[in-house]
Amino acid sequence: MSTATSTAPLGAEKADENRSLIGLRRPDHTTGLADWLTTVDHKKIAIMYAIFSLAFLVIGGIEALIIRAQLAVAENQLITAEVYNQLFTMHGTTMVFLAVMPLSAAFFNYLVPLQIGARDVAFPRLNSFSLWTFVAGAIILNISWLFQAANLLGWFNPIDGRSDIVPAVGWFGYAPYTDTAYSGIGTDFWILGLQVLGIGSLAAAFNFIVTIFNMRAPGMLMMRLPVFTWMTLITSFLIIFAFPPLTVALGELMFDRYFGTSFFRVEGGGQPILWQHLFWIFGHPEVYILILPAMGIISEILPVFSRKPLFGYSLIIFSGAVIGFLGFAVWSHHMFTTGLGTVGTAAFSLLTMAIAVPTGVKIFNWIGTLWGGKIRFDVPMIYGLGFIWMFMMGGFSGIMHSSAPADSQQHDTYFVVAHFHYVLIGGSILALLAGLYFWFPKVTGRMWQGKLGHWSAIVIVIGLNWTFFPMHYLGMAGMPRRTHTYLEGTGWQALNFAVTIGAFILAVGILMFLIDMLRTYRKGVPAGNDPWNARTLEWSIPSPPPVHNFDRTPVVKARDAFWLHKFGTVDQKIGSVDPGAHGVHMPSKSWMPLLTSSGFLVFGIAMAMKSAGVPLMGYLAITGLSITLIGIYLWALEGPGGYHLHPEGEHRPH
Amino acid sequence: MPLRLSIISLTLVLSGCALDGRQSFMDPRGEVAWLQYDLFMLTVYVTFGIFIAVGGTLLWTVWRYRERVDDDPNEHPPQSHGNPLVEFVLIAISIGLLVIIAIPTVSAIVYTHGMPDEPDSLLGSYYHGDMSDGAEEEVLTIYAYGWQWWFSFEYPQLGIVTGNELAIPKGKVVRFELRSKDVIHSFWVPKLAGKVDMIPGRNNWMWLRGDEAGYFFGQCAEYCGESHAYMQFRVEVMEDDDFAEWVEQQRQTPPPPQEESWQDFVVLAARAPEKLVDEPAVRGAALFYGRGACIQCHAIKGTPAAGLLGPDLTTVASRKSIAAGWMEHHNDDFTINPERQYENFYRWIRESEKIKPGNLMYHVSGGMRDINLSDQDCHDLAAFMMTLRPDSL
Repeated sequence: MSTATSTAPLGAEKADENRSLIGLRRPDHTTGLADWLTTVDHKKIAIMYAIFSLAFLVIGGIEALIIRAQLAVAENQLITAEVYNQLFTMHGTTMVFLAVMPLSAAFFNYLVPLQIGARDVAFPRLNSFSLWTFVAGAIILNISWLFQAANLLGWFNPIDGRSDIVPAVGWFGYAPYTDTAYSGIGTDFWILGLQVLGIGSLAAAFNFIVTIFNMRAPGMLMMRLPVFTWMTLITSFLIIFAFPPLTVALGELMFDRYFGTSFFRVEGGGQPILWQHLFWIFGHPEVYILILPAMGIISEILPVFSRKPLFGYSLIIFSGAVIGFLGFAVWSHHMFTTGLGTVGTAAFSLLTMAIAVPTGVKIFNWIGTLWGGKIRFDVPMIYGLGFIWMFMMGGFSGIMHSSAPADSQQHDTYFVVAHFHYVLIGGSILALLAGLYFWFPKVTGRMWQGKLGHWSAIVIVIGLNWTFFPMHYLGMAGMPRRTHTYLEGTGWQALNFAVTIGAFILAVGILMFLIDMLRTYRKGVPAGNDPWNARTLEWSIPSPPPVHNFDRTPVVKARDAFWLHKFGTVDQKIGSVDPGAHGVHMPSKSWMPLLTSSGFLVFGIAMAMKSAGVPLMGYLAITGLSITLIGIYLWALEGPGGYHLHPEGEHRPH
Repeated sequence: MPLRLSIISLTLVLSGCALDGRQSFMDPRGEVAWLQYDLFMLTVYVTFGIFIAVGGTLLWTVWRYRERVDDDPNEHPPQSHGNPLVEFVLIAISIGLLVIIAIPTVSAIVYTHGMPDEPDSLLGSYYHGDMSDGAEEEVLTIYAYGWQWWFSFEYPQLGIVTGNELAIPKGKVVRFELRSKDVIHSFWVPKLAGKVDMIPGRNNWMWLRGDEAGYFFGQCAEYCGESHAYMQFRVEVMEDDDFAEWVEQQRQTPPPPQEESWQDFVVLAARAPEKLVDEPAVRGAALFYGRGACIQCHAIKGTPAAGLLGPDLTTVASRKSIAAGWMEHHNDDFTINPERQYENFYRWIRESEKIKPGNLMYHVSGGMRDINLSDQDCHDLAAFMMTLRPDSL
């Protein structure tokens, strides 16, 4: 703590406690746009993460539908090769970085403090910074569409004369295609967008690690943590180890493009293969970053609807950690065709097979959880069971890839596309939708009526299989990925047509889900504190939870604390800590995270415009970074702020 | 669940037509592809077994332990926390099943990563024409280069160069040295072998053996830019005699459309164009060596055309497709259809940017974008292209 904070009277209840050393006032809007822009409440931040990521899920989905419309018939001319390449690039980048990751982050934000009995995350302003940095990165990536539209209208022309303004390098961006010799300013939008997104993810990961280690309520031992919180912790560690290689790779690529270095340029002595190693040592842990939170959600839902504890709690957590650890040892299985040599190929083949064991353990334990229970088929459970089934099928094709000689046929074909959509939609997305249904009554206080939720799950699972199961056959029939069209003589037409129909069925399912969510938000019936007869702390407080979460910090006596509080012995009941005269200390709102993040936005767009040859953009980029630095400085100077709440205590668990 | 079954069987029916398609890896015709196919099927059988066991257990569990209408909602099932013995057994079974896949996987990796020792495959044992010193004791080696968006193939032992279509002898091990001239490409003929990438600055290689004569389809399998989808190639697997004849054909220089030698023709076309015969092929040849500037990038062996940036055109009319396999002109029996061939040449010269956007022939400085070719010019060039074939065809 600096001297500035020690001179600001933290504990004293004075009228000007929000005034910092330099006279800045912390904002205190409680309604309207300013409230959302300055909030440090983890619940509001989570809701914004969820809304933004669902919006990007829809945008990425529309991109996918255009892709499928183009491929529906052979030699189709619906869109050009260039636009197709931009669509698959943006679809992949959007779904990974702007839909699934932030939707997972929404759950981290909402649930972790509630599940560990905390008031908020450890660093509330940093949390707000993570959100707005994510938004800045998302805008940098997607604003390229507007510049491309301006280019079509003749208002904007990059100096290199290239019209590929939206990124078209694939979500993997293999060098040397990303070099200025081969791709235009779309690549700059892509580099800067991902770099900014990485900053937001890293900040969030540190925040959750500190929160989970330090903010747990008394008695909430590590081995009493809900599994979702455990998976958040493991995912956060994956992020802080996996993103630095990506940051380095993107930085090197930026130097190659802007400052004439030769990290990946063969002509200058660089090595394109270096990019692949750096990218996949990020990229493979990244797929576990996408799936581990989903596994955590499922591990919360199955016990509740089976009404018995998770089968093999410790082993599920341990296998999650093993998956996270092994995730760093299998990156080269994305590179089996790059000529790794005998030993490298064999080693990565065997390690990849090894990762099937902890993954299998999770599936066995989920079935073990169902075994002997009394299963209720509410909407979250339908989605959850769909998850187990679909994720298992994605796992099987994963085992098929692990055999490197067989993979050399499957690699970069639709067989792989089928595989990772089973694990990403059938895995991550189904689990996230299950989680949205499961915790929606907690977040909004409202419960849905009718069967639309059930039907959405069924339609999504049908659409998913209809779309992606035939893709296995397309891959076996030799159809490569990332090709915008194919000759009629290949015999791929019938299956492609079927796949396109499936994609639209899947879209209808997602639409049904969104309608049901909106309808429930507007017209849902009151849900009550604990509609599912659930097991963890967040269900012990009102729905929606008050801004301070817990009136009194709970004292946890066992795993599945709230279940045992309801049905266990007397000494398993949740205790409480008297808040004392101070009440609950709450963090103040702040404009500084938004200001700091907006500097990144200015920097990113200005750098891309500099690449396009727009004058003075170098100075604007420096201005952007200056805004960020000023934001960080004022952040430090505005003081810790904070205020105290004195809840009446009627919501405490009893 | 019956719905899912009907979906799966529907796709099985639909895919019946696809799996014996021309790029299917489920229809192997070469040693390496067979090995990979067998390994793939092993993983399919093992995972299908697990699917039946685990999926069946899952279905049964969900059905058996569902909440019944007459259950007391306040009565909880037994609160069990796990069973270490069950876990241990399941982990052991999982590892055992993976070992079944792992052993043949490692053995196949070792086998495909080394050159097999097959005396029959030494070039001297089946080919008796001219070759470089010492090549008799080597296997046939082909340098395959990836370009945006086409392939070139060099046979250094035999001194021939071809583009987008190559031939290999049946039943003989052939070594491919895989190189790239720009971005990353990938060399893949599904029926003969799985893919290996062509990476700039890296010397990758692979071997394969075509065990059946035939015409096989290949395609670039690494995203390499705008026209990636149009980057294809063909491999013809031939009997020894046919292969020897093919090599001889590739070595020939097609006769000039007028005059005794190409040298004389080019000089005549440049200095006294009025003396040229007024025929499409002659006019086309004059354009090719003159105003069309085609020789900046294209080579016709034994003539002043020695460009290195585009496909070698010495025997281009003997190929069954142009534009890297995207424009096909073969009949069902893989003989050439001359009408379609002429039409393809004409369309490609006329509108290459429309057919393969971003292609270098159009975009290079001094390329088709900068040269105003009339419709007649395009017909003339197409007519000239039609003459670029070995005499015997």
